[in-house]
Amino acid sequence: MEFLDLTIRELHNELVKKTVTPLDLVKEALLRAKADNNNAFEYIMEKEALDMASKLKEPEANNLFWGIPFVIKDNFSTKDVPTTASSNILKGYVPVFDATVVRKLLEAKAIPIAKATLDELAMGGSGTTGHLGTTFNPYDKLHEHLIGGSSCGSAVAVSSSIVPFALGSDTGDSVRKPASYAGLVGFKPTWGRISRLGLFPFATSLDHVGYFTRSVFDAAHLLNLLAGRDIEDATSSETPVEDYARLLTNDLKGVKIAVVKEIVDSIYDKSINAAFQKTLASLKVRGAKVEYVSIDRKLLEALFPTYVVISCAEATSNNANLDGIKFGPYHDGKTFDEVMSKARTKGFSELIKRRFVIGSFCLMKENQEALFLRAQKVRRMIVDRINEIFQDYDAIFLPASPTPAPTLGEASDRLSDEYLIADNHMVIGNFGGFPSITIPLGFKNNLPFGGNLTAKPFNEAKLLQIASVIEDITGFYNLSVRTAKL
Amino acid sequence: MKAINKEVLKDAAKRLLFDMSEDEYDTLLKEFEVVIKQMELIGQIEGVDDYEPMTFPFECTTSYLREDIPAKPLSKEEVLRNAKNKSAGQIKLPKVVG
Repeated sequence: MEFLDLTIRELHNELVKKTVTPLDLVKEALLRAKADNNNAFEYIMEKEALDMASKLKEPEANNLFWGIPFVIKDNFSTKDVPTTASSNILKGYVPVFDATVVRKLLEAKAIPIAKATLDELAMGGSGTTGHLGTTFNPYDKLHEHLIGGSSCGSAVAVSSSIVPFALGSDTGDSVRKPASYAGLVGFKPTWGRISRLGLFPFATSLDHVGYFTRSVFDAAHLLNLLAGRDIEDATSSETPVEDYARLLTNDLKGVKIAVVKEIVDSIYDKSINAAFQKTLASLKVRGAKVEYVSIDRKLLEALFPTYVVISCAEATSNNANLDGIKFGPYHDGKTFDEVMSKARTKGFSELIKRRFVIGSFCLMKENQEALFLRAQKVRRMIVDRINEIFQDYDAIFLPASPTPAPTLGEASDRLSDEYLIADNHMVIGNFGGFPSITIPLGFKNNLPFGGNLTAKPFNEAKLLQIASVIEDITGFYNLSVRTAKL
Repeated sequence: MKAINKEVLKDAAKRLLFDMSEDEYDTLLKEFEVVIKQMELIGQIEGVDDYEPMTFPFECTTSYLREDIPAKPLSKEEVLRNAKNKSAGQIKLPKVVG
Protein backbone atom coordinates (compact mmCIF):
# COMPACT_ATOMS: atom_id res chain seq x y z
CA MET A 1 0.00 0.00 0.00
CA GLU A 2 1.35 3.41 -0.86
CA PHE A 3 1.64 6.03 1.83
CA LEU A 4 -1.21 8.26 0.59
CA ASP A 5 -3.54 5.30 0.79
CA LEU A 6 -3.14 5.40 4.58
CA THR A 7 -5.26 7.28 7.12
CA ILE A 8 -3.84 10.26 9.02
CA ARG A 9 -3.05 8.07 12.04
CA GLU A 10 -1.06 5.50 10.05
CA LEU A 11 0.63 8.11 7.90
CA HIS A 12 1.69 9.96 11.04
CA ASN A 13 3.34 6.80 12.36
CA GLU A 14 5.31 6.42 9.12
CA LEU A 15 6.41 10.06 9.23
CA VAL A 16 7.60 9.67 12.84
CA LYS A 17 9.52 6.49 11.88
CA LYS A 18 10.95 8.48 8.94
CA THR A 19 9.99 5.83 6.42
CA VAL A 20 8.60 8.76 4.42
CA THR A 21 9.07 12.56 4.47
CA PRO A 22 6.50 15.37 4.01
CA LEU A 23 8.25 16.25 0.76
CA ASP A 24 7.79 12.68 -0.56
CA LEU A 25 4.11 12.82 0.38
CA VAL A 26 3.51 16.20 -1.18
CA LYS A 27 5.26 15.23 -4.42
CA GLU A 28 3.07 12.11 -4.70
CA ALA A 29 -0.10 14.04 -3.75
CA LEU A 30 0.63 16.66 -6.41
CA LEU A 31 1.18 13.94 -9.01
CA ARG A 32 -2.13 12.36 -8.12
CA ALA A 33 -3.90 15.74 -8.07
CA LYS A 34 -2.60 16.64 -11.53
CA ALA A 35 -3.66 13.22 -12.82
CA ASP A 36 -7.20 13.66 -11.51
CA ASN A 37 -9.76 13.52 -14.28
CA ASN A 38 -12.85 14.02 -12.12
CA ASN A 39 -12.62 17.83 -12.24
CA ALA A 40 -11.89 18.07 -8.52
CA PHE A 41 -9.60 21.09 -8.41
CA GLU A 42 -9.82 24.82 -8.92
CA TYR A 43 -6.15 25.43 -8.19
CA ILE A 44 -3.21 23.21 -7.38
CA MET A 45 -0.84 24.79 -4.84
CA GLU A 46 2.30 23.19 -6.25
CA LYS A 47 4.91 25.81 -5.39
CA GLU A 48 3.37 26.60 -2.02
CA ALA A 49 3.10 22.95 -0.95
CA LEU A 50 6.62 21.99 -2.06
CA ASP A 51 7.99 25.07 -0.27
CA MET A 52 6.23 24.16 3.02
CA ALA A 53 7.10 20.48 2.80
CA SER A 54 10.80 21.07 2.17
CA LYS A 55 11.03 23.06 5.42
CA LEU A 56 9.68 20.21 7.57
CA LYS A 57 12.62 18.12 8.79
CA GLU A 58 12.08 16.81 12.34
CA PRO A 59 8.76 14.98 12.85
CA GLU A 60 6.64 16.03 15.84
CA ALA A 61 5.62 12.76 17.49
CA ASN A 62 2.74 14.38 19.41
CA ASN A 63 1.33 16.23 16.43
CA LEU A 64 -0.88 13.97 14.32
CA PHE A 65 -1.06 16.52 11.50
CA TRP A 66 2.63 17.29 11.06
CA GLY A 67 3.53 16.95 7.38
CA ILE A 68 0.12 15.60 6.34
CA PRO A 69 -1.12 16.86 2.95
CA PHE A 70 -4.74 17.99 2.66
CA VAL A 71 -7.16 19.78 0.34
CA ILE A 72 -9.28 22.89 0.99
CA LYS A 73 -12.75 23.46 -0.47
CA ASP A 74 -12.52 26.65 -2.51
CA ASN A 75 -14.90 28.65 -0.31
CA PHE A 76 -12.31 28.95 2.45
CA SER A 77 -10.18 32.08 2.40
CA THR A 78 -6.56 31.08 1.72
CA LYS A 79 -3.92 33.82 1.94
CA ASP A 80 -2.20 34.52 -1.38
CA VAL A 81 -4.00 31.60 -3.06
CA PRO A 82 -6.82 32.17 -5.59
CA THR A 83 -10.18 31.48 -3.97
CA THR A 84 -13.25 31.53 -6.19
CA ALA A 85 -16.08 29.59 -4.48
CA SER A 86 -16.34 28.04 -7.97
CA SER A 87 -18.06 31.22 -9.17
CA ASN A 88 -17.08 33.61 -11.96
CA ILE A 89 -17.90 36.53 -9.70
CA LEU A 90 -14.74 35.73 -7.73
CA LYS A 91 -12.49 34.95 -10.67
CA GLY A 92 -9.01 36.19 -9.85
CA TYR A 93 -9.80 36.91 -6.21
CA VAL A 94 -6.77 36.30 -3.99
CA PRO A 95 -7.54 36.66 -0.26
CA VAL A 96 -5.21 38.56 2.07
CA PHE A 97 -5.94 36.35 5.06
CA ASP A 98 -6.42 32.70 5.98
CA ALA A 99 -9.64 31.25 7.31
CA THR A 100 -9.18 30.28 10.97
CA VAL A 101 -9.37 26.55 10.17
CA VAL A 102 -6.70 26.97 7.48
CA ARG A 103 -4.53 28.91 9.92
CA LYS A 104 -4.89 26.20 12.60
CA LEU A 105 -3.90 23.49 10.12
CA LEU A 106 -0.91 25.49 8.90
CA GLU A 107 0.18 26.05 12.50
CA ALA A 108 -0.01 22.28 12.98
CA LYS A 109 2.29 21.96 9.94
CA ALA A 110 -0.27 20.18 7.77
CA ILE A 111 0.30 20.99 4.08
CA PRO A 112 -2.50 22.20 1.78
CA ILE A 113 -1.91 20.99 -1.78
CA ALA A 114 -4.97 22.25 -3.65
CA LYS A 115 -8.28 24.16 -3.62
CA ALA A 116 -11.21 21.93 -4.47
CA THR A 117 -14.24 22.52 -6.70
CA LEU A 118 -17.69 23.02 -5.23
CA ASP A 119 -21.22 23.79 -6.36
CA GLU A 120 -21.15 27.54 -7.01
CA LEU A 121 -21.03 29.54 -3.77
CA ALA A 122 -21.78 26.23 -1.96
CA MET A 123 -25.40 26.58 -3.07
CA GLY A 124 -26.05 23.14 -4.52
CA GLY A 125 -26.10 19.41 -3.82
CA SER A 126 -25.10 17.76 -7.07
CA GLY A 127 -21.49 18.78 -7.75
CA THR A 128 -22.57 20.02 -11.19
CA THR A 129 -22.98 23.77 -10.80
CA GLY A 130 -19.43 25.06 -10.24
CA HIS A 131 -18.05 27.37 -12.92
CA LEU A 132 -15.64 24.64 -14.14
CA GLY A 133 -18.50 22.21 -14.77
CA THR A 134 -19.39 18.83 -13.31
CA THR A 135 -17.22 17.04 -10.77
CA PHE A 136 -17.46 13.27 -11.22
CA ASN A 137 -17.52 10.31 -8.87
CA PRO A 138 -14.19 8.45 -8.92
CA TYR A 139 -15.99 5.15 -8.24
CA ASP A 140 -17.34 5.40 -11.79
CA LYS A 141 -14.63 5.66 -14.45
CA LEU A 142 -17.29 6.17 -17.12
CA HIS A 143 -18.21 9.51 -15.49
CA GLU A 144 -21.91 8.69 -15.49
CA HIS A 145 -22.40 9.20 -11.76
CA LEU A 146 -22.28 12.28 -9.58
CA ILE A 147 -20.44 12.65 -6.32
CA GLY A 148 -23.01 15.10 -4.93
CA GLY A 149 -22.25 18.44 -3.37
CA SER A 150 -21.62 21.07 -2.61
CA SER A 151 -18.23 19.78 -1.34
CA CYS A 152 -17.67 17.69 -4.49
CA GLY A 153 -13.96 18.28 -5.11
CA SER A 154 -13.03 17.61 -1.48
CA ALA A 155 -14.89 14.30 -1.60
CA VAL A 156 -12.98 13.28 -4.75
CA ALA A 157 -9.64 14.23 -3.17
CA VAL A 158 -10.12 11.91 -0.19
CA SER A 159 -11.91 8.99 -1.90
CA SER A 160 -9.22 8.94 -4.62
CA SER A 161 -6.50 8.89 -1.93
CA ILE A 162 -4.95 12.10 -3.19
CA VAL A 163 -4.96 13.24 0.45
CA PRO A 164 -6.19 11.64 3.71
CA PHE A 165 -8.48 14.54 4.63
CA ALA A 166 -10.15 17.58 3.07
CA LEU A 167 -12.04 20.59 4.39
CA GLY A 168 -15.66 21.09 3.32
CA SER A 169 -18.70 23.04 4.43
CA ASP A 170 -22.17 21.79 5.30
CA THR A 171 -25.26 24.03 5.11
CA GLY A 172 -27.90 21.48 4.09
CA ASP A 173 -25.82 18.24 4.03
CA SER A 174 -23.04 19.40 1.72
CA VAL A 175 -20.40 17.25 3.44
CA ARG A 176 -22.58 14.40 4.67
CA LYS A 177 -24.35 13.65 1.38
CA PRO A 178 -21.23 13.48 -0.86
CA ALA A 179 -19.64 11.39 1.91
CA SER A 180 -22.39 8.83 1.33
CA TYR A 181 -21.84 8.84 -2.45
CA ALA A 182 -18.05 8.65 -2.05
CA GLY A 183 -17.82 6.03 0.72
CA LEU A 184 -16.22 8.44 3.18
CA VAL A 185 -16.48 9.64 6.74
CA GLY A 186 -18.15 13.07 6.37
CA PHE A 187 -18.53 15.04 9.58
CA LYS A 188 -19.87 18.33 10.78
CA PRO A 189 -19.84 19.22 14.48
CA THR A 190 -22.29 21.37 16.45
CA TRP A 191 -23.06 24.79 14.96
CA GLY A 192 -20.39 27.19 16.17
CA ARG A 193 -18.05 24.44 17.42
CA ILE A 194 -15.54 25.29 14.69
CA SER A 195 -14.85 28.91 13.77
CA ARG A 196 -16.28 30.04 10.44
CA LEU A 197 -14.03 33.05 10.03
CA GLY A 198 -12.93 32.98 6.42
CA LEU A 199 -15.61 30.51 5.30
CA PHE A 200 -17.62 32.39 2.67
CA PRO A 201 -21.09 32.61 4.23
CA PHE A 202 -24.00 30.99 2.41
CA ALA A 203 -26.72 30.80 5.09
CA THR A 204 -25.31 31.89 8.41
CA SER A 205 -27.84 30.13 10.63
CA LEU A 206 -27.19 26.83 8.81
CA ASP A 207 -23.50 26.94 7.74
CA HIS A 208 -20.98 24.61 9.39
CA VAL A 209 -17.33 23.84 8.76
CA GLY A 210 -17.07 20.11 8.04
CA TYR A 211 -14.56 17.69 6.56
CA PHE A 212 -13.93 14.30 4.97
CA THR A 213 -11.64 11.59 6.35
CA ARG A 214 -11.31 7.84 5.83
CA SER A 215 -11.66 6.94 9.49
CA VAL A 216 -13.65 8.04 12.53
CA PHE A 217 -10.41 8.25 14.55
CA ASP A 218 -9.06 10.83 12.10
CA ALA A 219 -12.34 12.80 12.25
CA ALA A 220 -12.25 12.88 16.06
CA HIS A 221 -8.66 14.14 16.22
CA LEU A 222 -9.27 16.73 13.52
CA LEU A 223 -12.08 18.09 15.68
CA ASN A 224 -9.67 18.30 18.63
CA LEU A 225 -7.45 20.50 16.45
CA LEU A 226 -10.12 22.70 14.87
CA ALA A 227 -12.67 23.19 17.66
CA GLY A 228 -12.69 26.26 19.84
CA ARG A 229 -13.82 29.79 20.46
CA ASP A 230 -12.52 32.36 17.97
CA ILE A 231 -12.80 35.99 19.04
CA GLU A 232 -13.09 36.94 15.36
CA ASP A 233 -16.19 34.74 14.88
CA ALA A 234 -18.80 35.87 17.36
CA THR A 235 -20.97 32.85 16.49
CA SER A 236 -18.23 30.44 17.56
CA SER A 237 -19.02 28.68 20.80
CA GLU A 238 -17.43 29.41 24.17
CA THR A 239 -18.20 25.84 25.30
CA PRO A 240 -14.88 24.31 26.41
CA VAL A 241 -13.14 22.01 23.94
CA GLU A 242 -13.00 18.36 25.06
CA ASP A 243 -10.98 15.38 23.91
CA TYR A 244 -13.45 14.19 21.30
CA ALA A 245 -11.57 10.94 20.76
CA ARG A 246 -11.82 9.82 24.40
CA LEU A 247 -14.86 7.54 23.93
CA LEU A 248 -13.67 5.77 20.80
CA THR A 249 -14.29 2.28 22.26
CA ASN A 250 -16.45 -0.65 21.37
CA ASP A 251 -18.64 -0.50 24.44
CA LEU A 252 -22.18 0.65 23.65
CA LYS A 253 -23.78 -0.52 26.91
CA GLY A 254 -26.40 2.00 27.95
CA VAL A 255 -26.37 3.78 24.58
CA LYS A 256 -29.81 4.40 23.11
CA ILE A 257 -30.23 4.91 19.37
CA ALA A 258 -33.40 6.14 17.67
CA VAL A 259 -34.46 5.34 14.10
CA VAL A 260 -37.13 7.55 12.53
CA LYS A 261 -39.75 5.21 11.07
CA GLU A 262 -41.15 7.64 8.49
CA ILE A 263 -37.71 8.37 7.04
CA VAL A 264 -36.74 4.69 6.77
CA ASP A 265 -40.14 3.97 5.20
CA SER A 266 -39.45 6.58 2.51
CA ILE A 267 -36.39 4.64 1.31
CA TYR A 268 -37.13 1.88 -1.20
CA ASP A 269 -33.66 0.68 -2.21
CA LYS A 270 -33.32 -2.97 -1.11
CA SER A 271 -29.51 -2.91 -0.80
CA ILE A 272 -29.58 0.17 1.40
CA ASN A 273 -32.39 -1.15 3.57
CA ALA A 274 -30.67 -4.52 3.99
CA ALA A 275 -27.32 -2.97 4.95
CA PHE A 276 -29.04 -0.56 7.33
CA GLN A 277 -31.07 -3.28 9.07
CA LYS A 278 -27.98 -5.49 9.36
CA THR A 279 -26.13 -2.63 11.05
CA LEU A 280 -29.02 -2.07 13.46
CA ALA A 281 -28.92 -5.75 14.44
CA SER A 282 -25.16 -5.56 15.01
CA LEU A 283 -25.54 -2.41 17.12
CA LYS A 284 -27.92 -4.34 19.39
CA VAL A 285 -25.39 -7.17 19.68
CA ARG A 286 -22.80 -4.57 20.74
CA GLY A 287 -25.01 -3.50 23.61
CA ALA A 288 -26.98 -0.55 22.23
CA LYS A 289 -30.70 -0.19 22.60
CA VAL A 290 -32.19 0.55 19.15
CA GLU A 291 -35.80 1.73 18.88
CA TYR A 292 -38.06 3.26 16.26
CA VAL A 293 -39.49 6.73 16.87
CA SER A 294 -42.06 8.66 14.91
CA ILE A 295 -42.06 12.17 13.44
CA ASP A 296 -45.19 13.66 11.88
CA ARG A 297 -44.92 13.16 8.10
CA LYS A 298 -46.15 16.71 7.55
CA LEU A 299 -43.10 18.01 9.43
CA LEU A 300 -40.76 15.83 7.38
CA GLU A 301 -42.41 16.97 4.14
CA ALA A 302 -41.79 20.52 5.32
CA LEU A 303 -38.01 20.01 5.61
CA PHE A 304 -37.11 20.77 2.02
CA PRO A 305 -39.27 23.86 1.35
CA THR A 306 -38.31 25.26 4.77
CA TYR A 307 -34.67 24.80 3.84
CA VAL A 308 -35.16 26.43 0.43
CA VAL A 309 -36.85 29.50 1.90
CA ILE A 310 -34.44 30.05 4.79
CA SER A 311 -31.25 29.30 2.86
CA CYS A 312 -32.19 31.38 -0.19
CA ALA A 313 -33.22 34.34 1.99
CA GLU A 314 -30.00 34.27 4.00
CA ALA A 315 -27.89 33.69 0.88
CA THR A 316 -29.33 36.72 -0.86
CA SER A 317 -28.21 38.90 2.02
CA ASN A 318 -24.81 37.23 2.48
CA ASN A 319 -23.87 37.62 -1.18
CA ALA A 320 -24.93 41.25 -1.50
CA ASN A 321 -21.28 42.32 -1.18
CA LEU A 322 -20.26 40.59 -4.40
CA ASP A 323 -20.27 43.56 -6.76
CA GLY A 324 -16.99 43.51 -8.70
CA ILE A 325 -15.70 46.66 -7.02
CA LYS A 326 -13.38 45.57 -4.18
CA PHE A 327 -12.68 42.17 -5.75
CA GLY A 328 -13.79 40.04 -8.67
CA PRO A 329 -13.97 40.99 -12.36
CA TYR A 330 -14.72 44.69 -12.91
CA HIS A 331 -16.95 45.96 -15.72
CA ASP A 332 -17.07 49.63 -16.56
CA GLY A 333 -20.34 51.56 -16.54
CA LYS A 334 -21.78 55.05 -16.49
CA THR A 335 -23.07 54.72 -12.90
CA PHE A 336 -22.03 52.61 -9.92
CA ASP A 337 -25.36 50.76 -10.29
CA GLU A 338 -24.36 49.78 -13.78
CA VAL A 339 -20.90 48.68 -12.65
CA MET A 340 -22.40 46.41 -9.99
CA SER A 341 -25.20 45.11 -12.24
CA LYS A 342 -22.78 44.12 -14.97
CA ALA A 343 -20.54 42.30 -12.48
CA ARG A 344 -23.45 40.41 -10.90
CA THR A 345 -25.23 39.63 -14.18
CA LYS A 346 -22.06 38.23 -15.77
CA GLY A 347 -20.56 36.74 -12.58
CA PHE A 348 -23.43 34.75 -11.11
CA SER A 349 -24.78 31.70 -12.91
CA GLU A 350 -28.48 31.56 -13.76
CA LEU A 351 -29.15 29.02 -11.04
CA ILE A 352 -27.66 31.27 -8.38
CA LYS A 353 -29.66 34.24 -9.62
CA ARG A 354 -32.88 32.20 -9.42
CA ARG A 355 -32.04 31.30 -5.83
CA PHE A 356 -31.38 34.93 -4.93
CA VAL A 357 -34.70 36.06 -6.42
CA ILE A 358 -36.52 33.40 -4.41
CA GLY A 359 -34.68 34.56 -1.30
CA SER A 360 -35.38 38.22 -1.92
CA PHE A 361 -39.05 37.54 -2.61
CA CYS A 362 -39.41 35.61 0.66
CA LEU A 363 -38.01 38.59 2.56
CA MET A 364 -40.28 41.23 1.01
CA LYS A 365 -42.52 42.79 3.68
CA GLU A 366 -45.77 41.56 2.15
CA ASN A 367 -44.42 38.00 1.85
CA GLN A 368 -42.52 37.56 5.10
CA GLU A 369 -45.41 36.20 7.15
CA ALA A 370 -46.42 33.50 4.67
CA LEU A 371 -42.91 32.56 3.59
CA PHE A 372 -39.85 33.54 5.62
CA LEU A 373 -41.36 33.76 9.11
CA ARG A 374 -43.46 30.67 8.57
CA ALA A 375 -40.37 28.72 7.47
CA GLN A 376 -38.62 29.89 10.63
CA LYS A 377 -41.58 28.73 12.73
CA VAL A 378 -41.56 25.31 11.09
CA ARG A 379 -37.81 25.14 11.74
CA ARG A 380 -38.52 25.54 15.44
CA MET A 381 -41.27 22.88 15.30
CA ILE A 382 -38.85 20.43 13.70
CA VAL A 383 -35.97 21.21 16.07
CA ASP A 384 -38.27 20.97 19.11
CA ARG A 385 -39.38 17.49 17.99
CA ILE A 386 -35.78 16.35 17.49
CA ASN A 387 -34.81 17.71 20.92
CA GLU A 388 -37.71 15.72 22.39
CA ILE A 389 -36.24 12.58 20.84
CA PHE A 390 -32.82 13.45 22.26
CA GLN A 391 -34.30 13.54 25.77
CA ASP A 392 -34.58 9.75 25.57
CA TYR A 393 -31.93 8.81 23.01
CA ASP A 394 -28.23 9.48 22.49
CA ALA A 395 -28.36 9.57 18.70
CA ILE A 396 -30.57 9.20 15.65
CA PHE A 397 -29.32 6.76 12.99
CA LEU A 398 -30.63 6.67 9.42
CA PRO A 399 -29.54 5.86 5.87
CA ALA A 400 -27.69 8.97 4.62
CA SER A 401 -29.19 8.82 1.12
CA PRO A 402 -32.07 6.93 -0.54
CA THR A 403 -29.78 5.58 -3.26
CA PRO A 404 -26.07 5.41 -4.06
CA ALA A 405 -24.79 8.24 -6.28
CA PRO A 406 -27.37 9.26 -8.88
CA THR A 407 -26.52 9.40 -12.57
CA LEU A 408 -25.95 12.73 -14.30
CA GLY A 409 -29.27 12.40 -16.07
CA GLU A 410 -31.09 12.11 -12.78
CA ALA A 411 -29.74 15.36 -11.42
CA SER A 412 -31.48 18.60 -12.02
CA ASP A 413 -30.80 22.05 -10.68
CA ARG A 414 -34.50 22.91 -10.73
CA LEU A 415 -36.72 22.69 -7.68
CA SER A 416 -38.88 19.61 -7.98
CA ASP A 417 -42.40 18.85 -6.92
CA GLU A 418 -41.46 15.91 -4.76
CA TYR A 419 -40.99 16.32 -1.04
CA LEU A 420 -37.98 14.09 -1.12
CA ILE A 421 -37.94 13.24 2.58
CA ALA A 422 -35.39 10.54 1.98
CA ASP A 423 -33.13 12.89 0.05
CA ASN A 424 -33.22 15.84 2.42
CA HIS A 425 -33.61 14.60 5.98
CA MET A 426 -30.01 15.42 6.91
CA VAL A 427 -30.88 19.12 6.83
CA ILE A 428 -32.23 18.44 10.33
CA GLY A 429 -28.58 18.58 11.42
CA ASN A 430 -28.38 22.14 10.09
CA PHE A 431 -31.73 23.34 11.43
CA GLY A 432 -30.82 22.43 15.00
CA GLY A 433 -27.04 22.75 14.70
CA PHE A 434 -26.77 19.06 15.73
CA PRO A 435 -23.40 17.31 15.29
CA SER A 436 -23.81 14.76 12.51
CA ILE A 437 -21.62 12.22 10.73
CA THR A 438 -21.95 10.01 7.66
CA ILE A 439 -20.02 6.74 7.60
CA PRO A 440 -19.84 4.10 4.82
CA LEU A 441 -22.45 1.37 5.12
CA GLY A 442 -22.26 -0.72 1.96
CA PHE A 443 -22.04 -0.98 -1.80
CA LYS A 444 -24.53 -1.43 -4.61
CA ASN A 445 -23.33 -2.02 -8.18
CA ASN A 446 -19.83 -0.95 -7.06
CA LEU A 447 -21.10 2.40 -5.78
CA PRO A 448 -20.89 3.13 -2.04
CA PHE A 449 -23.62 4.45 0.23
CA GLY A 450 -23.55 5.60 3.84
CA GLY A 451 -25.43 5.83 7.12
CA ASN A 452 -25.94 9.07 9.04
CA LEU A 453 -25.73 9.53 12.78
CA THR A 454 -26.87 12.72 14.55
CA ALA A 455 -26.63 13.68 18.24
CA LYS A 456 -27.46 16.49 20.66
CA PRO A 457 -25.52 19.77 20.42
CA PHE A 458 -22.00 19.48 21.87
CA ASN A 459 -22.26 15.67 22.19
CA GLU A 460 -19.57 15.01 19.57
CA ALA A 461 -17.66 12.55 21.78
CA LYS A 462 -20.70 10.27 22.10
CA LEU A 463 -21.52 10.64 18.40
CA LEU A 464 -17.98 9.69 17.39
CA GLN A 465 -18.02 6.76 19.82
CA ILE A 466 -21.11 5.25 18.18
CA ALA A 467 -19.72 6.03 14.71
CA SER A 468 -16.48 4.22 15.54
CA VAL A 469 -18.45 1.12 16.52
CA ILE A 470 -20.43 1.22 13.27
CA GLU A 471 -17.11 1.50 11.43
CA ASP A 472 -15.93 -1.59 13.30
CA ILE A 473 -19.17 -3.43 12.50
CA THR A 474 -19.03 -2.73 8.76
CA GLY A 475 -15.27 -3.10 8.45
CA PHE A 476 -15.20 -0.04 6.18
CA TYR A 477 -12.12 1.49 7.76
CA ASN A 478 -9.99 3.50 5.33
CA LEU A 479 -12.27 2.89 2.37
CA SER A 480 -11.14 4.43 -0.91
CA VAL A 481 -11.45 3.80 -4.64
CA ARG A 482 -7.94 2.35 -4.62
CA THR A 483 -8.50 -0.03 -1.70
CA ALA A 484 -12.16 -1.03 -2.10
CA LYS A 485 -12.45 -4.70 -2.98
CA LEU A 486 -14.90 -4.36 -5.87
CA MET B 1 -48.72 37.83 -0.23
CA LYS B 2 -47.58 39.54 -3.40
CA ALA B 3 -48.83 37.90 -6.62
CA ILE B 4 -46.04 36.35 -8.67
CA ASN B 5 -45.63 37.17 -12.32
CA LYS B 6 -42.70 37.88 -14.59
CA GLU B 7 -42.87 41.62 -13.90
CA VAL B 8 -42.55 41.09 -10.14
CA LEU B 9 -39.60 38.75 -10.67
CA LYS B 10 -37.87 41.16 -13.04
CA ASP B 11 -38.31 43.92 -10.51
CA ALA B 12 -36.85 41.71 -7.76
CA ALA B 13 -33.85 40.88 -9.96
CA LYS B 14 -33.35 44.56 -10.80
CA ARG B 15 -33.25 45.43 -7.12
CA LEU B 16 -30.70 42.65 -6.60
CA LEU B 17 -28.63 44.34 -9.31
CA PHE B 18 -28.59 41.63 -11.96
CA ASP B 19 -30.59 40.54 -14.97
CA MET B 20 -31.55 37.11 -16.34
CA SER B 21 -32.64 35.76 -19.73
CA GLU B 22 -36.34 35.40 -20.60
CA ASP B 23 -36.00 31.61 -20.44
CA GLU B 24 -34.66 31.83 -16.91
CA TYR B 25 -37.58 33.96 -15.79
CA ASP B 26 -39.88 31.23 -17.17
CA THR B 27 -37.93 28.57 -15.22
CA LEU B 28 -38.06 30.75 -12.13
CA LEU B 29 -41.84 31.18 -12.41
CA LYS B 30 -42.21 27.39 -12.40
CA GLU B 31 -39.91 27.10 -9.39
CA PHE B 32 -41.96 29.68 -7.53
CA GLU B 33 -45.11 27.65 -8.16
CA VAL B 34 -43.43 24.72 -6.44
CA VAL B 35 -42.18 26.78 -3.49
CA ILE B 36 -45.48 28.59 -2.92
CA LYS B 37 -47.49 25.36 -3.16
CA GLN B 38 -45.26 23.66 -0.61
CA MET B 39 -45.31 26.66 1.73
CA GLU B 40 -49.12 26.76 1.58
CA LEU B 41 -49.23 23.14 2.68
CA ILE B 42 -46.86 24.01 5.50
CA GLY B 43 -49.27 26.75 6.52
CA GLN B 44 -51.84 24.05 7.17
CA ILE B 45 -49.70 22.25 9.75
CA GLU B 46 -51.67 22.44 12.96
CA GLY B 47 -50.33 24.98 15.41
CA VAL B 48 -47.48 26.22 13.21
CA ASP B 49 -48.33 29.87 13.69
CA ASP B 50 -48.28 29.47 17.48
CA TYR B 51 -44.52 28.94 17.28
CA GLU B 52 -41.90 31.69 17.53
CA PRO B 53 -39.71 32.03 14.43
CA MET B 54 -36.31 30.38 14.93
CA THR B 55 -33.36 32.50 13.81
CA PHE B 56 -30.47 30.44 15.17
CA PRO B 57 -30.16 26.70 15.88
CA PHE B 58 -30.18 27.16 19.66
CA GLU B 59 -29.88 29.80 22.35
CA CYS B 60 -26.33 30.85 23.01
CA THR B 61 -24.60 33.90 24.41
CA THR B 62 -21.65 35.60 22.84
CA SER B 63 -19.73 38.79 23.05
CA TYR B 64 -18.04 41.03 20.56
CA LEU B 65 -15.78 42.86 22.95
CA ARG B 66 -12.06 42.21 23.08
CA GLU B 67 -9.03 43.76 24.74
CA ASP B 68 -7.86 46.98 23.16
CA ILE B 69 -4.52 45.63 21.97
CA PRO B 70 -2.89 47.42 19.04
CA ALA B 71 -2.36 45.16 16.04
CA LYS B 72 -1.03 45.52 12.55
CA PRO B 73 -3.86 46.37 10.16
CA LEU B 74 -3.94 45.43 6.48
CA SER B 75 -1.60 47.54 4.39
CA LYS B 76 -3.04 49.84 1.75
CA GLU B 77 -1.51 47.57 -0.89
CA GLU B 78 -3.30 44.51 0.54
CA VAL B 79 -6.61 46.33 0.66
CA LEU B 80 -6.32 47.49 -2.94
CA ARG B 81 -4.78 44.31 -4.31
CA ASN B 82 -8.00 42.72 -5.52
CA ALA B 83 -9.68 45.87 -6.82
CA LYS B 84 -9.37 46.07 -10.61
CA ASN B 85 -10.17 49.75 -11.04
CA LYS B 86 -7.79 51.93 -9.03
CA SER B 87 -6.41 55.43 -9.18
CA ALA B 88 -4.14 57.43 -6.87
CA GLY B 89 -4.20 54.81 -4.15
CA GLN B 90 -7.99 54.53 -4.09
CA ILE B 91 -10.70 52.37 -5.61
CA LYS B 92 -12.19 54.14 -8.62
CA LEU B 93 -15.92 54.27 -9.37
CA PRO B 94 -18.30 56.38 -11.47
CA LYS B 95 -19.30 59.45 -9.48
CA VAL B 96 -22.32 58.84 -7.24
CA VAL B 97 -23.44 62.43 -6.82
CA GLY B 98 -22.89 65.09 -9.50
